[in-house]
Amino acid sequence: METKQTAFVNGSEHEFRAGETILNFVRRIEGEKLIPTLCDAPNLDPFGSCRVCSVEVGLSAEGPRRTMASCHTPVTAGYHIHTSTPEIQKLRKNIIELVLTDHPLDCLTCEVNGNCELQTVAAEVGIRKVRYPEGEHHLDREKDESHSYMRSDFSKCINCYRCVRACDEVQGQFVLSMAGRGFDNHIVKGQDVSFKESDCVSCGACAQACPTAAISDIFQSKAIEATEKTRTICNYCGVGCNLEVSSTNGEILSIRAPYDAEVNQGHTCLKGRFAFKFYKHPDRITDPLIKRNGVFEKATWDEAYDYIASRFKYYISEFGPDSLAGISSARCTNEENYLMQKFFRAVVRTNNIDGCARVCHSPTALGMQRTFGTGAATNSIEDLKHTNAILVIGANPTAGHPVTGAKLKQFAMKSDNVSIVIDPRRTELAEYATYHLPVRPGTNVAVLNMMMYYIIKEGLVDQQFIETRAEGYEEFKEQVLAVNIDEMEAVCGVDKELVRRAAMAYAKAPNAMSFHGLGVTEHSQGTFTVVQIADLAMLTGNIGRKGVGVNPLRGQNNVQGLADMGVQPHQGAGYLDVTNDDVNRTYNEFYGVEVPKHIGLKIPEMFDAAIEGKLKAMWIMGEDVVQTDPNTNKVKKALNNLDLFVVQELFMTETAKLADVILPGASFLEKSGTFTNGERRIQKVNQVVKPNANSKPDGQIVIDIMNRMGYAQPDYTPEGMLKEISQIVPFFAGVTWENLGINGLQWPVKPDGTDTKILHDETFKKGKGTFLFHSFKESNEIVKHGKDYPFILTTNRDLEHYNSGVQTRRTANVEIHTEDLLWIHPDDAAQFGIQSGDKVCVESPRGKVDIKAKVTDGVKQGVLSTTFHFPEIMVNLVTSDEHCSEAMCPEYKVVAVRIRKSKGEFARA
Amino acid sequence: MSKKLLLEHIDVEGIRTYDVYRKQGGYQAVEKALKGMSSDDVVEEVKKSGLRGRGGAGFPTGMKWSFLAKPDGVPRHLLCNADESEPGTFKDRYLMEKIPHLLIEGMILSSYALGANQSYIYIRGEYMFVMRIVEQAIAEAYANGWLGKNIMGSGFDLDLAITPGAGAYICGEETALIESLEGKRGNPRMKPPFPAVKGLWQRPTVVNNVETIAAVVPIIQHGGDAYAAIGIGRSTGTKLISASGNINKPGVYEIELGLPVEEFIYSEEYCGGIKNGKRLKALIPGGSSVPVLPHYLICKTAAGEPRLMSYESLADGGFATGSMLGSGGFIVYDEDQCIVRNTWNFSRFYHHESCGQCSPCREGTGWMEKVLHRIEEGHGTMEDIDLLWDIQRKIEGNTICPLGDAAAWPVAAAIRHFREEFEWHINEPKLSQERNYGLVTEKTFDAQPA
Repeated sequence: METKQTAFVNGSEHEFRAGETILNFVRRIEGEKLIPTLCDAPNLDPFGSCRVCSVEVGLSAEGPRRTMASCHTPVTAGYHIHTSTPEIQKLRKNIIELVLTDHPLDCLTCEVNGNCELQTVAAEVGIRKVRYPEGEHHLDREKDESHSYMRSDFSKCINCYRCVRACDEVQGQFVLSMAGRGFDNHIVKGQDVSFKESDCVSCGACAQACPTAAISDIFQSKAIEATEKTRTICNYCGVGCNLEVSSTNGEILSIRAPYDAEVNQGHTCLKGRFAFKFYKHPDRITDPLIKRNGVFEKATWDEAYDYIASRFKYYISEFGPDSLAGISSARCTNEENYLMQKFFRAVVRTNNIDGCARVCHSPTALGMQRTFGTGAATNSIEDLKHTNAILVIGANPTAGHPVTGAKLKQFAMKSDNVSIVIDPRRTELAEYATYHLPVRPGTNVAVLNMMMYYIIKEGLVDQQFIETRAEGYEEFKEQVLAVNIDEMEAVCGVDKELVRRAAMAYAKAPNAMSFHGLGVTEHSQGTFTVVQIADLAMLTGNIGRKGVGVNPLRGQNNVQGLADMGVQPHQGAGYLDVTNDDVNRTYNEFYGVEVPKHIGLKIPEMFDAAIEGKLKAMWIMGEDVVQTDPNTNKVKKALNNLDLFVVQELFMTETAKLADVILPGASFLEKSGTFTNGERRIQKVNQVVKPNANSKPDGQIVIDIMNRMGYAQPDYTPEGMLKEISQIVPFFAGVTWENLGINGLQWPVKPDGTDTKILHDETFKKGKGTFLFHSFKESNEIVKHGKDYPFILTTNRDLEHYNSGVQTRRTANVEIHTEDLLWIHPDDAAQFGIQSGDKVCVESPRGKVDIKAKVTDGVKQGVLSTTFHFPEIMVNLVTSDEHCSEAMCPEYKVVAVRIRKSKGEFARA
Repeated sequence: MSKKLLLEHIDVEGIRTYDVYRKQGGYQAVEKALKGMSSDDVVEEVKKSGLRGRGGAGFPTGMKWSFLAKPDGVPRHLLCNADESEPGTFKDRYLMEKIPHLLIEGMILSSYALGANQSYIYIRGEYMFVMRIVEQAIAEAYANGWLGKNIMGSGFDLDLAITPGAGAYICGEETALIESLEGKRGNPRMKPPFPAVKGLWQRPTVVNNVETIAAVVPIIQHGGDAYAAIGIGRSTGTKLISASGNINKPGVYEIELGLPVEEFIYSEEYCGGIKNGKRLKALIPGGSSVPVLPHYLICKTAAGEPRLMSYESLADGGFATGSMLGSGGFIVYDEDQCIVRNTWNFSRFYHHESCGQCSPCREGTGWMEKVLHRIEEGHGTMEDIDLLWDIQRKIEGNTICPLGDAAAWPVAAAIRHFREEFEWHINEPKLSQERNYGLVTEKTFDAQPA
């Protein structure tokens, strides 16, 4: 029996929680104000250095008392805590007085005036006079303005270590540290260099942590001039960071990360925090544009709508609904994606609707549906607190998903934890991993079969889980045991003993979580690899509880939501099979029209159909397929072959340039709705400013065209749309705009509003989990072209840029990371006389590009890697249209190329 | 002639070398322990001996050892704190320099008792020449099978490494020492968790002073009871004292605890009296951080009892009229010394050595130094004395590690016992620059608040 543990705060008795510090205990009972602090921060471990939080503690009401730092002293039963005795108040006052002897008193002109913790505490303890005459001080320290975002002015530093701890504990970058001793203490970056020269990743955690203006950012995000603060969700990656946006007069001033956000707990990355200036960039498309005689001319919305609606109607009547196709956007809200697919299904009446999930995580959805029944992350990121081992395959989270990446890195850095990274590149996480398996690109299936072979062979399977929760094991087991290990070792190029050890570590961990990214899916065997990851989890019983599971790192802010809303040609809203009669009836009733029953075109099929002339018109909302889809020349050819090409965009992208009509959409800062992050969390996006110029929220644009084409759809409001969606998408049943609250809900959400953190806890969505075996098959790309094109190029992402870079290239991120670079192994570089900085001509059967080399042993011999953030390079000119055999996700990760040192500037094929 | 346990063979020619040390009975305690005692037996003997930490705090060693957590499969570590940096303390250097094998033998015994297979000596960076001597001795111990795998066929493995600090006093604080040994900046850690639970590399760790570890050798050799029979009350055994200041025979002495302070200062066997026949003005008995005692509280306590060299007697009267045995850094002042100047000097040291982590210590040590300097230079005011008192009160007990206390106590004691000398500096600035104040007048302490 647990007895109640109580202690006294200023004479009144309260129950405390096990392990609770005095500070947290007092704050929980008496609120924030009673005990002032300086070195304490909500997302950092207690540090105990400022001593401002000192309290008096006695073991009896009247007995002797000791002074203790409340922030790191745990409460003990029977403590009599006195928070504000005259002695304590004097102590606090004297400490602050001492701190003020070395702090500039220019509060009125300081950027944090009114939001300075030192100022607040000084006011609270009542400093009127500093009794110490002028002495040594550090008021003449130089400001650091070297960096595109970060700023420091260490004359304002109070040595609280919060920035150092944020850099260590939150981001794990270890850029900031304390140098010097005692009074000479001072913060340094790296080996005492500037922010720009340091290894800083510009996450801004230090600036947010700093209680004064010693570290800040160019947006002065701690200043309090803003009249409005709006909580919203970041529109970059699938982590789904909550942001607090400060604005005045319709202008955004800065962004901070709220501490009470369950997703990001006060942290975010340079994209979320700093890369927002694109929203007002002069490049924004301000008005609808219609191309006449090859030139875009400004048009009114009515003109554009009429033009589009009449042409769409014409193609439908003349060539049938299937002569139209749409691509929706993972950057847009759930509501907008729902509308886009509804438009094509219920208004045009075709299933030719697809989205960018096709080119990223479509294999994840398919593979996990085949094994588990649901194509979404089984667990939540917070489960990292409850796991013992992580398996990260084909993902570079510290660049692609920085906030989750930082958590994974923190996990990997702790010595008791096991971390396994399977990746052709030595990613930042791989540097910290217990095991890094550097596979040849395209051989994930081989290495995972090896792991499963060893786990079965060495009897480390979870027999009870397999018997009670899964099916198909016996056959699967035989197939796995028949795998030729030596052959697979040769295929993937990783020492089998290393694979064995990694497999043992994963299988032996009490709880193991897997994470995967596009390095799994963007392969000809992408779906099969996802199936294997699911197999691995079932084999070891790592499903259905905290700290385990299969967790795809969804690429875009709302790529999960896009699929949930039915943006795919074979499943409608809520993943319901369009070919099923019952489902069809439901949709018919709900939409009030007859919707088509045959599966529509996937994106690559749309391009083929366009080239063949079967597809007459396309409408792409917020997707730059020319820059981001593989085999650019083919994509361009397809789009040029259309009769009507409508693009809804923020900027004149490579795709928009080919459009006949461009509709100016609104950015995430200019509209409301919901995004669903990679852990199925539906979160509220709140409009911060009005749409730029004459642009409109994308959902409203879709609705306007629906109305023009004779389908009555009420105007766009997130409340109204969510209400409609909750009636058709089963796992949104209990979702309302109101009950999403500040931290959102994880689907499935039951009608009573309760959400779900862990999927498949007792049974799988499909009943029993299914073991499926797939053997390794060499990619066609290598089989067909490997001989003439002996190098393998694999594409990836950098921290500073997001996908096509359409937004991030229009922010100061571009000053930090200026161009795409080609990673090449030193031996390969030497063979071709290439040095870092040289341009390399990379040629595939499709085309060639020149990319600047970065010579590094981060890739193995024979492997090259690069990013595709810059249209100047257009890396996708060389990528192939090979794709996943099941989900048609393009194989960006395996491109057969040959290289040579460039002869001159840019000779594009 | 009193009993010597640590320095018994100190004058034997070549005792620094393995062969001579062995001939003088060295490593017999290890033989005894590894052949006939379990590790718990060793702990038990140390408990019986009543040995207390010789680094300054005087915490019972056996008890400290028994707090060591022993989770399965987690290595444990013994760290020897040889970062001897307290002004006025130089006994560890003497021991390591003269008879390094005694420390190594103690390390083997203590590591065996604690179940540590990898132990470290963290030595003050300025002691580089001593480090070379200890390194040589470690090499000899390895060569003769006292370190390494399966020592004496007992199945006990021990690797011993020595690593230098880089000139920071703070690294003598056990958790800062651990941080430094891990390759980090030497900032003290918060406690809990204590090193006994999470120390070096988050593993259970014991940190002991050089002299403490060396004392384990005679304890095992002669038995805990025999050791406990030496000394007085809870101050058992012998203690090394670093005697310095205005005495005729400065140096390191091994005394039986309980020796009268008066005898230690004036007998020919020890300090040999005050130099040049001057009068005794003040004494710091345990290193620069312990409270200074005025002449009338040195040989007798406030209660009139003879003051003895023991943990209890030196602390008799609390901080009002007593001090501490501390590390045994025994600093004697004659009547020509200026207390204000000396206190300023110590404050300068603590200001320089504060790690800067806690605001009261980082800022406060600097201001104490500045205010003391001002008074010493003849520019002080009466308010400055109160200000000093205020600052030291704010530092004491309000920092993560005891450096704050160490910086505060000397200032507090100087004001407590020598206030009139401070006032004289303020009232007679010119005079104070020309000559020293001399002895303070005796006070009665009946009504003195704590």
